[in-house]
Amino acid sequence: MTKSVRTVTVLSLVARALTAQSGGPDPRLVARLDKPTYVAVNAIVDSARAAKLPTAPLVDKALEGAAKGSDGTKIVTAVQQLRVRMTSARAVLGSNATSDELKAASAAFEAGVSDRDLARVKAASGKRPVTMPLAVITDLIGRQIEVSAATNLVIQLEKSGVKDSAFGLFQRNVRADIDRGADPTVAAQTRARGLLQRGATTGKPSE
Amino acid sequence: MSDDDVRMSQIARALRAPVRLSASFDARVMAAVRRLPGHERLKLWARLTTPRSVTMVPLTWGLLAASVALFAVLGALHFVVDVDRAAKPIASALFPAQMKPAPQRVQFVLVAPDAKKVAVVGDFNGWDAQHAGYQAQHRGGGVWSVTAPVPVGHHRYSFVVDDSVWVADPSAPRVVDNDYGVPNSAIVVPQE
Repeated sequence: MTKSVRTVTVLSLVARALTAQSGGPDPRLVARLDKPTYVAVNAIVDSARAAKLPTAPLVDKALEGAAKGSDGTKIVTAVQQLRVRMTSARAVLGSNATSDELKAASAAFEAGVSDRDLARVKAASGKRPVTMPLAVITDLIGRQIEVSAATNLVIQLEKSGVKDSAFGLFQRNVRADIDRGADPTVAAQTRARGLLQRGATTGKPSE
Repeated sequence: MSDDDVRMSQIARALRAPVRLSASFDARVMAAVRRLPGHERLKLWARLTTPRSVTMVPLTWGLLAASVALFAVLGALHFVVDVDRAAKPIASALFPAQMKPAPQRVQFVLVAPDAKKVAVVGDFNGWDAQHAGYQAQHRGGGVWSVTAPVPVGHHRYSFVVDDSVWVADPSAPRVVDNDYGVPNSAIVVPQE
């Protein structure tokens, strides 16, 4: 491809991206929300778009509320809280954070993970995405493991270079142990130790 | 007029006569001039514009060729990387379907012996319990399952039993959800 063709391609992509940024109302919101709720949700979505936050998770949150039969006030509150959580997540993870990472970080915040803990998870991951580690932390907290214990275990695994697939295996094993009656924290610590000892790692440790 | 006067007149006449030079004289004079040291400002230009023979050993030629090739490769890489870096986020924002990896097929399973209908809802299908592609089939023994496409990434989802009861997937990571009072499950679909 010649330089001029590349330049034209990039410029056209930029132009279309700028056009796409203007966005528009999601027809699903119009169809499923009552008018006042729709107006409020749409305003939050617009403000998120202006702040360059991903808007799809906000729309999904509103649709989820509608599907669960929640009233408009709850839906607007939930969407606004998600926007706040995503803003906080991006402040910690950086402007290059993906939509998936922001969603996972928002869920982790909701589970009780602090900004400081999120920053530690991010630091331990290096350049790898934090989506899966955060999903595992959120799951462990949901299974009655303390926030600090869950976070420290996952950070330990991250620093050892554990891959996403190994994180998934770790989560499933801990869940199975808990389902069989094990203490959640002991189960998680034991499975983490086993994972580290088996050397289910890849590449160099990040630190 | 004395003899001396006559001789002086002859000499003066000879000196006044036009000088006839040989054809190569001009060339010899100019060559001599060019050999003289030039003005400082003209030295570099003269060096650059004066034809000359240069003798190089093969090793020098090799190093020169390698340097040219290295610069060419580095330049090409720099250009390609810059263009890609500029185009990727734009293109992914514009054409998510083309830029994002293809959705992966995921099997959802729920054991619900008393259920009459089970559907999977999540942010991958707009939380639509009537979505045709996410209706679980009864496999017997109270086991319901559906295998459906889910985009790569982090998703929240749940089962809806008999259009009214929301059930988190017991086999998937949990998501604490204080917004609507009904727990969800999380799934991270990796890129194949």
